[in-house]
Amino acid sequence: MKKLALLVLSFTLMLLVAACSNEQKSNQKTSKQEEASANDTLTLSWPLDIGAVNPHLYAPNEMFAQALLYDPLVSYGDNGEIQPALATDWEISEDGKSYTFTLREGVVYSDGSSLTAENVKRNIEAVLQNMERHSWLEAVSMIDKVEVIDELKVKIDLKESYYPFLQELTLIRPLRMLADSGFPEGGSTAEEIEAPIGSGPWILTDYVKGSHAEFTRNDNYWGEKPKIKKVIIKVIPDSQARIMALEKGDIDLIFGSGQLAPVEYQTLQQKGTYQTLISGPLSTRVLAINSTIAPTNEKEVRLALQYAMDRKTIVEHILNGLEEEAQSLFSPGFPYSDIKVGQYENNFEEAKKILDQAGWKMVEGQPFRMKNNQVLQVTIPYRSTELVHKEILEYLQSAWREIGIDVQLKAEESQIYTQKVRAGEFNLTFNDTWGVPYDPHMFIRTMIGENQLGLYVQSGTAISSEFTANVNKVIRSTDENERRALYEGILQGIHDEAMFIPISYRTNYLVANNGVKRLQFTPHQYEVPLSLFELEE
Amino acid sequence: MKKRNKRLPLIISSSLVALLTMVAIFEPWLVLHDPHVINMAMKLQGFSATYPLGTDHLGRCVLSRLIAGARVSLFTTFSILIVTLIISLVVGIVAGYVGGMIDTVLMRVCDILLAMPNFIFALVIVGTLGGGLFNMFIGIVFVSWVWYARMIRNMVLSLKEAPFVKYAQVTGVSRFNIMRVHILPFVFPQIFLLKLIGLGSTILLISELSFLGLGVTAPLAEWGMMISDSKTYLLSNPMLMFIPGFMISLTVLLFNWFGDAVRDALDPKTL
Repeated sequence: MKKLALLVLSFTLMLLVAACSNEQKSNQKTSKQEEASANDTLTLSWPLDIGAVNPHLYAPNEMFAQALLYDPLVSYGDNGEIQPALATDWEISEDGKSYTFTLREGVVYSDGSSLTAENVKRNIEAVLQNMERHSWLEAVSMIDKVEVIDELKVKIDLKESYYPFLQELTLIRPLRMLADSGFPEGGSTAEEIEAPIGSGPWILTDYVKGSHAEFTRNDNYWGEKPKIKKVIIKVIPDSQARIMALEKGDIDLIFGSGQLAPVEYQTLQQKGTYQTLISGPLSTRVLAINSTIAPTNEKEVRLALQYAMDRKTIVEHILNGLEEEAQSLFSPGFPYSDIKVGQYENNFEEAKKILDQAGWKMVEGQPFRMKNNQVLQVTIPYRSTELVHKEILEYLQSAWREIGIDVQLKAEESQIYTQKVRAGEFNLTFNDTWGVPYDPHMFIRTMIGENQLGLYVQSGTAISSEFTANVNKVIRSTDENERRALYEGILQGIHDEAMFIPISYRTNYLVANNGVKRLQFTPHQYEVPLSLFELEE
Repeated sequence: MKKRNKRLPLIISSSLVALLTMVAIFEPWLVLHDPHVINMAMKLQGFSATYPLGTDHLGRCVLSRLIAGARVSLFTTFSILIVTLIISLVVGIVAGYVGGMIDTVLMRVCDILLAMPNFIFALVIVGTLGGGLFNMFIGIVFVSWVWYARMIRNMVLSLKEAPFVKYAQVTGVSRFNIMRVHILPFVFPQIFLLKLIGLGSTILLISELSFLGLGVTAPLAEWGMMISDSKTYLLSNPMLMFIPGFMISLTVLLFNWFGDAVRDALDPKTL
C-alpha cells in the first residue's frame, strides 16, 4: 500500500513538473512572439536544415535558401520568357555559340564588394572545375570558355550552339553568383565555401545547424526589395510537429509540397482560423516504368498498367481533391505541352484484354496471371518516409491485384532507395517532373544520361535509339520549327511506348496565420516567394 | 489459500495469452472483412455495426486489420523466439563447455554486438537489407540472441564443475552427449523463462521497425504500421492511431505480466 502511495505521489509530482515547465515555455513564447511581430519578423518551418548554402552544389543545400541568397545572370519570367537579372542585356552571336552579357551597374554583394565581370568568370569557372557533379546539366558541359571583356562585360563561348542555354542559366543551381570573399582559399567551391555571400534579396544573418536560420532583408538589393525585414526558418522535420508549432504560434507559415499531407491541410482549412491556399499545377506526379527488366520490358504489360489507372479515385480520395488529374506528362502551360499525343483512358477491361492477348493468362488456382510459369509481378520501391506515395501505391496494389498483377511494394530507407533506383532495380517507381524551368527539356534530357532513372525508362523500348537521337538533336536545335517537330516525336514516343504514367499535377500548399498578407505562389516549385509576402502592421 | 493467490496471475495472464494466440491462429475465420481489401468509398468511417472499429484512410476495416496484425506480430515474435533460442543455446553451451579459443572468439563477437544499441543496430541491418517481414526477422534475430548466449555460457561454466558432469566425463560420455543430455536440460528452462519475459520487447521492436516503414510491408497489416499510416490523420481521426497503439501497449503489458507470473510460479523461493 505504502509503495502504491509513493508511486502515485511521484507520478503526480512528475506531471506537475512537466506542466510547470510547459507553462513557462509557452509564456516565453508569447512574449517572444509579440516582440517578433513588432519587429516585422516572419517565422516559417522547413523540413530540412538549409545546409551550407553553397550556390554551386546540390543536396544538402536547400534550393529555396540558395534562391534567397544568390542571383542568376538572367531569370525566368512568368511566361517562360528570359528576363534580365544580374545581366541587363545579352547578345547572342550569329552561330549561337557565344553569349555576351552586360552586367548590371552598382550591384553590391552583402559584404560590400561589387559585381564584376571578373567575379562572374570566377564563379562559372568554379562550376566548370567540378564538371563531373554537373554533367546532368547540358549548359555546363557546353561551356567552352569565359572571357572578361571589360569591367561589366563578360563573354561565354559554347562548344556548339545550344538553345536552352539562357533557360539553364536561370536555374537555382549551379550557375548563380557568389562574392569573391565567399570563395575558400583554394578557390574551388566543389567541397565547401568560405561564407554564403550573395547579391540576392536576403542575407543570412544567423544559422544554427539543425535548428534555425535567420535571413535579413538586403537593403541594398538591386531589384524589388522584400517587404518583410526578417525571416526565421525553423527546422521541423515532422508534419504533426509543424502543425503543433503553427497552432502554438511558434511559426507563422507552412509552405510547400509534401510538407503537409492533404488531410492535414484540409483539417487546418476547416478550422477557419488560418489562411489556406493551393497553387496551380507546378509539376507532375509520375510513375516511371522500367523498360529494361521483366515483366515491364514488354510493351503490353506497360500498356495494361496505363489502362488500369483510376486517377479519379486517387485524386479524390487520397489527394483529397487538392491536385488535378494529370492528362499528360507535362501540365498545360509548359513549353510544348500543347502537343497532343493522346491519352490512356481508365479502362480495366481493356487492360485485362491486353494482358490476355500478350499471353499473361489467369490460371486456375493461381492468384495472379502467369506466362511460361512466370508470375506477372511488378516491384515498386518507395521511400519509407513518403506517406502519400505509400497510400497511392497501396491503392494501386489492391487495384492491380484485382486484374491479376502481383505488386510488391518495397519500403526503402532514403539513400538505399536512391541507390537502387539508379541501379535500375525497380519495375515502377515515382519520378515526379521538376516543374519550371526544368520541364520539359531537362527532364527529357536526363532520359539519355548515364545512371539516370529516365534512362531505364526508355532504353528498353523498341524506339530507344531513335529516341536518344531525337533528344540529342532537340537540345541542340536552334530552329523553333525543327524543335517542335522533334518534341512531337519525343512526346509521342513516350506516350506510344507507355513509358510514364502521369497521375496528378503537384501543387504547393500554403497555410498561414492571419497576420501574413499578400500570400501568393510563383510558378517555381522550389522557391518560397518570401520577398512578396507582407506582414500586417 | 496462499498458494492459490500466487497462481491467480498466472492463470489469468496465461489464458489471456492463449486467447490472443487463438485470435491470431484463427484470424481467417474471425475477420469481418478482408483486412487487405481497399474500398475507397468507405474510407474513414466511424464505429458502426458493419465496421465495429471504423475504417482507415483506404476504407479497410480497422478491427479486421487489428486481428490480422495480431497474427503477424505474434507469429513473427514466436518464430524469433524459437530461432534466437536455438542460436543462443548452441553458441552459449559450446562457448561455455568447450572453452578455449572457441569461447574467446564467440564471446568477443558477443561483446562487439552487445556494445551496440539493439534498436539502432536492428534498424541498420533492416535499412541495408531493405524492408520486409523476412529482413526484419533477420535483423531482430541478429541483435537479440547475444545477451542470452552470454547468460547461457555463464550458466554452463558453473554446471561444468558439477559432480554429475565430472562423472559423465570420467565415464567417457562424448562431449556432444554431455552438452545434450547433462547440460541442455538444466539450462533450457531458465533461458526459456528469460526469453518469455523478453517477449514484450520483441513485439515492441517489430512495431517500431514497422512504424518506421521498414518492417512489415503492405498489404500486410501490422500494429506499428497502422500507427505510422494514420500519423497524418492524427488531427482529423485520432482513433485510427489510438486503437493500434492501445493494442501494442496492452499486448506488451500482457506478455510482461505473463513472463513475471510464470517466473513467480516456478521460483522455488515463492512456493
